[in-house]
Amino acid sequence: MTITHHPSDATLAAFAAGQLDEGSGVVVASHLTACSSCRRWLRKLEDVGGALLADLPPTPMAPGALARTMERLSGPLEQDKPLPAARPAEHLPWLPEPLRRYELGPWRWIGPGVYQRKVSVPTKGDARVFLLKAAPGTKLPEHTHTGIERTQVLAGAFIHDGGRFGAGDFDDAEGEVEHRPTVDMGEECICLVAMTGGIKMTGPIGRLIQPFVRL
Amino acid sequence: MQLVMPVEMKPDRPKLDAASLIVAVAEHKDHEAFKVLFEHFAPRVKTFMVRSGATTSQAEELAQETLLMVWRKAGLFNAARAGATAWIFTIARNLRIDGLRRVGRETSAIFNMDEPAEDVEQPDQAYISVERDERVRSAIAMLSEEQRRVVQLSFVEDKAHPEIARELNIPLGTVKSRIRLAIKRMRDVLDGQP
Repeated sequence: MTITHHPSDATLAAFAAGQLDEGSGVVVASHLTACSSCRRWLRKLEDVGGALLADLPPTPMAPGALARTMERLSGPLEQDKPLPAARPAEHLPWLPEPLRRYELGPWRWIGPGVYQRKVSVPTKGDARVFLLKAAPGTKLPEHTHTGIERTQVLAGAFIHDGGRFGAGDFDDAEGEVEHRPTVDMGEECICLVAMTGGIKMTGPIGRLIQPFVRL
Repeated sequence: MQLVMPVEMKPDRPKLDAASLIVAVAEHKDHEAFKVLFEHFAPRVKTFMVRSGATTSQAEELAQETLLMVWRKAGLFNAARAGATAWIFTIARNLRIDGLRRVGRETSAIFNMDEPAEDVEQPDQAYISVERDERVRSAIAMLSEEQRRVVQLSFVEDKAHPEIARELNIPLGTVKSRIRLAIKRMRDVLDGQP
């Protein structure tokens, strides 16, 4: 897998700082499981966090804090909540590990050759996370989005003004972006998408189907 | 005639070898080592939490919790993979996400990824963490005052980009470009290094 498109520096720094919401976070984490160079850079960014933490002025702890903590060292692990069990890969070998903790909805038809599947990530506001699957050669309607759209390609490839995005690639789109992605020939394309804000179909076909598409 | 002053006139702050202390905790359940770690890091983690918007009592609890996790997870610390302060930062950051944000159940679980062996077991990457800390410090020192401020607001004060824009009274685009430039500058120093 040759990865040519990565999360922006600002996105990865926000991830390292713990600033991304869970929706964007899970898409970035899915990229990280595929990309060793981003994992390496993430560790450097965490080093920066460590250095900033180490340089903070100390705030005195409450009296007896050390003694109380020492008493808990050998105590039961009362705080350890078990993580939601990760589901096995089932028949979805392309499903990245960070996604396996979440419930997936059924595939839902949203347009010719295009299916969407909800990923139940707890999110705030209008943020949503979903999988998108499109048949080879599908031309998605021309559209504009207004918020943040972060996409990790899990299988297949699509092409738009920004280049060709194949498995492992990350499309970090923010603000007004107008484009018309086309799915590459050969194999169906599956993407993981975290999105905020609206999406507006701008081409003639798009305007026609706008009422039906609720991405 | 006066002798030329040696370059390093700054009083050398005592270097805390946090990595060795964590290893001592992992290998020998060393209470003395834990005490040193606690006394050094807990008050700083407390500041970190207060600046992130925690109340004093929340910050106290999260700081104790962070050090408790240091004790429990010490066996997972790998000096070849992470610097000691970076490792403690990630623990504090994750507790901050789950303790203060409370959107989902365990949001910080997105950081629990399997580390492929290829990432870790390269002996030439295992340079000592003190050296690593120095390099990171010098990268941060290269930033302009403005750049350092946005990086600090993001990493230490738990501020998302729009909040930083409000706090500094500058446009969101400026926040983003400032962060981008700051990160790029640090990347030039840090990347390519193991």
